[in-house]
Amino acid sequence: MTERLRLPAGILWIAPATALLVALSVYPLLYSLKVSFSTEAGGFTLSHYARLFQDRLFFLAAAQTLLYTAVALVVELLLGLGLALLVDSLDTGRGFFRAGLLAPMLLPPVVAAVVWRLIYNPQFGVLNGTLRTIGIDTSRLTWTSGAGSAMFSVILVDIWEWTPFLFLLLSAGLQALPQEPFEAARMDGASAWRIFRDVTLPLLKPTLLLAVLLRAMDLVRIFDQIFILTQGGPGFATETVSLYIYRTAFRFFNFGYAAVMSIAGLVLTTLFARALLRLLRTR
Amino acid sequence: MKTAWKYALAALALALALAPVYWLVTISIKKELDQFAYPPLWWNFAPTLEHYRDAFGARSFGRFLANSALVAAGSTLAALLLGVPAAYGLARFRWERLSFWILSTRMLPPIVTIVPLFLMLREARLLNSLLGLGLLYTAFNLPFVIWMMRGFFDEVPVELEEAARLDGDSRLGALVRVVLPIVRPGLAATAVFCAIVAWNEFLFALILTQTEAAATLPVGIASRVTQYEIKWGAMSAAGVVAMAPVLAFAAAAQKYLVRGLSLGAVKG
Repeated sequence: MTERLRLPAGILWIAPATALLVALSVYPLLYSLKVSFSTEAGGFTLSHYARLFQDRLFFLAAAQTLLYTAVALVVELLLGLGLALLVDSLDTGRGFFRAGLLAPMLLPPVVAAVVWRLIYNPQFGVLNGTLRTIGIDTSRLTWTSGAGSAMFSVILVDIWEWTPFLFLLLSAGLQALPQEPFEAARMDGASAWRIFRDVTLPLLKPTLLLAVLLRAMDLVRIFDQIFILTQGGPGFATETVSLYIYRTAFRFFNFGYAAVMSIAGLVLTTLFARALLRLLRTR
Repeated sequence: MKTAWKYALAALALALALAPVYWLVTISIKKELDQFAYPPLWWNFAPTLEHYRDAFGARSFGRFLANSALVAAGSTLAALLLGVPAAYGLARFRWERLSFWILSTRMLPPIVTIVPLFLMLREARLLNSLLGLGLLYTAFNLPFVIWMMRGFFDEVPVELEEAARLDGDSRLGALVRVVLPIVRPGLAATAVFCAIVAWNEFLFALILTQTEAAATLPVGIASRVTQYEIKWGAMSAAGVVAMAPVLAFAAAAQKYLVRGLSLGAVKG
């Protein structure tokens, strides 16, 4: 059978799925471009783009999204790696710990956020209640309702919910490593720290890269938890790009400007992913 | 590190991971007076099912639950019907660049496409309809189905289906009779992860289903949180009902968790 005869057959298998993906991902992007240049009446305008560069709030939201991403990513990576190494070194019960530790990331994000609303409530929440029973003054611990502590509090929820994701990937990576280099290092009498630094880390690097990239791409689009926990508040304290776009489009119905911000968001995300990849590859 | 310390540390991590979930469950079965008692009641309270009766008593809750189940099942089925043949085609005819493109559409942040999709569905009169939402979930899960199934198809030796085709089967016949039975566990796991993603999804559902008749469970729960007077018991009960099937299904697909969640987690 010749290659020329086989190709059309392949197309029949693949075409329906590809058509749907083009219709619901490529077409929307082009549509978005059109909306970004349109006035409400349908005419051509550049005003939405002009507005972007004067919008202090957009840049504030972008900066806060980046801060959220950076802090959550570093903490989740270190905790996830530590937990993966810890559980991997246990003699028995590894499967038990692995299954239990994954629970937070499986919950519907809305439910996870509701749980933390219950926990954080300054007057009635179990967190302040527990702290009070051990003698800590909680009158100033306002968690998500305080302007100063809200960002920290939503990041803490993210760490609780998504450290399991990094734990899962890194655990799997550790299990897949070849055993010979470890045996050789042990025979040479290398310390645990040396083995970790010179054997484990280099071998685990591809998995680490993948895990960081996947998590980072998820973090920059954070929406669900913050929407439930703080709605971006108090004030603007926990506003992120996704929330700001949502508000612009579906509270103020300014679709043109929302489209501009989503395009800017896409460009920034792509650049961020590339920079991250380059940074991680050279290390 | 001493072994005892290791287990203590692992147990502490496990407790921190599960305590919030446990707390949600207790709130859902505590009398209102006990819910916010000081000091907090972790175990010594009289359980009650009144909040579950309360939650299920509201007509809208059954509606949300049915909507979520329907859209999760429907979109999963549709994604498999489109995605499995595509994955097979990509695996056997080796369209590498198309494979990569399909995977990359999964990386597109939902917030980027939500504005045009909202406008498109509004024009097609598919706002506040499960059909519209299901269509989006199908497209959303497609790259995932293709990526998972392609991996499974790559592992099946081509010789097996060639033998079937020599016996007179068509390519489709060989796929259905020979290949699919071999990859059935992987297929089941793929379906489970698609259903979980659709069941958990919030952003699209929030924007595209604004009527009570079309809203899914996460949207229903969220609308209660943002009210002034929150009925914590009923809401916690709803939360427990929303998370229970996810945990059960994930446990069933445990063998494929890594493969499924590593890409499945790239979601809104």
